[in-house]
Amino acid sequence: MSHVRVGLVVPSSNVTVETELPALLGRHPGATFSFHGSRMRMAKVSPAQLAAMNAQRERCVMELGDADPDVLLYACLVALMSVGPGEHQRVEGLIAEQLATGGSGTLVRSSAGALVEALRAVPAQRIAIVTPYLKPLAEKVVTYLEAEGFEVVDWRALEVEDNRQVGCIQGDLVMAAARSLELIRADALVISACVQMPSLPLVESAEQEFGLPVLSAATAGAYSILKAADLPIDIPGAGSLLRREGGLSR
Amino acid sequence: MSRLYVLDVPENISVANVAGQSDGVQVDKLGPYFVIEHNGPIVIDRRATGCRHAVWYSCVAGLADGRIVQWDKDALRVDPR
Amino acid sequence: MNDLSGRHLARGVDHAAFPTFNPVGTVRFYRDVLGFPVVHSICAAGWGPDDHPDFIHFFFDIGNDDRIAFFYYFGLPRPSSEGKGDAYARFGDSTPDWFVRSRHLAIHVDSGDALMEYRRRLDHSEWPVEMQVQHETIESIYTHDPNGYLVEVTRALRPVTPQEDLDANLTIDALVDIAQREGHTMDDLLTRKAELIVERAPSWEVRV
Repeated sequence: MSHVRVGLVVPSSNVTVETELPALLGRHPGATFSFHGSRMRMAKVSPAQLAAMNAQRERCVMELGDADPDVLLYACLVALMSVGPGEHQRVEGLIAEQLATGGSGTLVRSSAGALVEALRAVPAQRIAIVTPYLKPLAEKVVTYLEAEGFEVVDWRALEVEDNRQVGCIQGDLVMAAARSLELIRADALVISACVQMPSLPLVESAEQEFGLPVLSAATAGAYSILKAADLPIDIPGAGSLLRREGGLSR
Repeated sequence: MSRLYVLDVPENISVANVAGQSDGVQVDKLGPYFVIEHNGPIVIDRRATGCRHAVWYSCVAGLADGRIVQWDKDALRVDPR
Repeated sequence: MNDLSGRHLARGVDHAAFPTFNPVGTVRFYRDVLGFPVVHSICAAGWGPDDHPDFIHFFFDIGNDDRIAFFYYFGLPRPSSEGKGDAYARFGDSTPDWFVRSRHLAIHVDSGDALMEYRRRLDHSEWPVEMQVQHETIESIYTHDPNGYLVEVTRALRPVTPQEDLDANLTIDALVDIAQREGHTMDDLLTRKAELIVERAPSWEVRV
């Protein structure tokens, strides 16, 4: 059985990504995973704090590089998407260059890039999304995904600015927001476009309820890590995205 | 008959002109080159050409049936081989 | 084979990289004196098989989107400054100066005014111009940077002509021909070049 070291660059107030990714990847039958985090200070999801957080990226990559991870995930979606279209390619490229310059073979992914990758894998063209962000930031996420070629048919912003509070958003609130979306034209639902807003227990049941593929920033991240590690997609109970390949028409 | 080839660029024109002033020295063109020919020695005075040193010491493109016996700050001399 | 095969695809210098033991002087020289903006930097460590210390790899824009880059390794002892040379390599006294100076970086400018502007900037700094020279078709100024690297700034006195490219190719063909002979000399080269001129002359009648 292979072992994959996953490096996570995490906003300091995030408690969810280090919960949901191990829970997801721990169900993989063919590999074991360990998770190694490095934190960037960030409490409020505001443009100023996001910019300050991005400036800490190089230090985090230095720390994680020492642990020689197989895959590194930059686990803050809105930090990249709020900068503007193409940012995840740019940042993934900078991190990859930083690691490669020191001779590291670590592969680099980001939750922003992972969501795009996973939506294309579904494949989804018209999507609906639930975000915890304030409206102006949520609009930037919508614009970002549209620049990647998706049509956002409907979206909700729960308008929680304090990132610690985002980690405590109750599942029924997220489901209520999802139920209020106009999903008729949607190919897929992103039930949490945020690695901090808890949603893992909702994904499978929401998929049953709405009758379309349901993704979250966490399931997309897990998908991207499995792809990077060249492992088969085979995680039960977390939506069709992660179900065993061949079990889904894609 | 020794033959000296000099590339026809502005800096080198005076090299061909000065060479051609000596008795019996023939100057022709072959493609982009001046061909400086003589039965006896070809002697070119550097000061008469007015060439800067960098130009002077890079003006020879080719040499047939001759030998450079002097190429210094004073003159370039090619004797038949 | 594809449609790129045989084409000259390179687009200048992405970057030329050098080690430094004097990052402060290096930044002063390139950024503050010459005015080359810092355009990129990377913080890294030896994560691969090579156990090198933490280091910074930083880049200055030398125009035309080309860059000069430096590596600064934390805690790496400065090598001996005995002998001739620079932060990368030192040579004994028996090595001639012209050989030590042969490896250098030349930065292009478009005009004599631009060249003189760089001369002015350098002359007002700790690294004044050491030499100003007119070569065949170029004019250059030279100084050594804080690491001992020889830096040239140069401008063309006139454009290079097609016949000079042709001549250069003849020189190199002649050099390749004679350089494998034991004891080859400049005389061999000039003789071989004259042969090549005569050989190829028929094809120039139309083109030159």
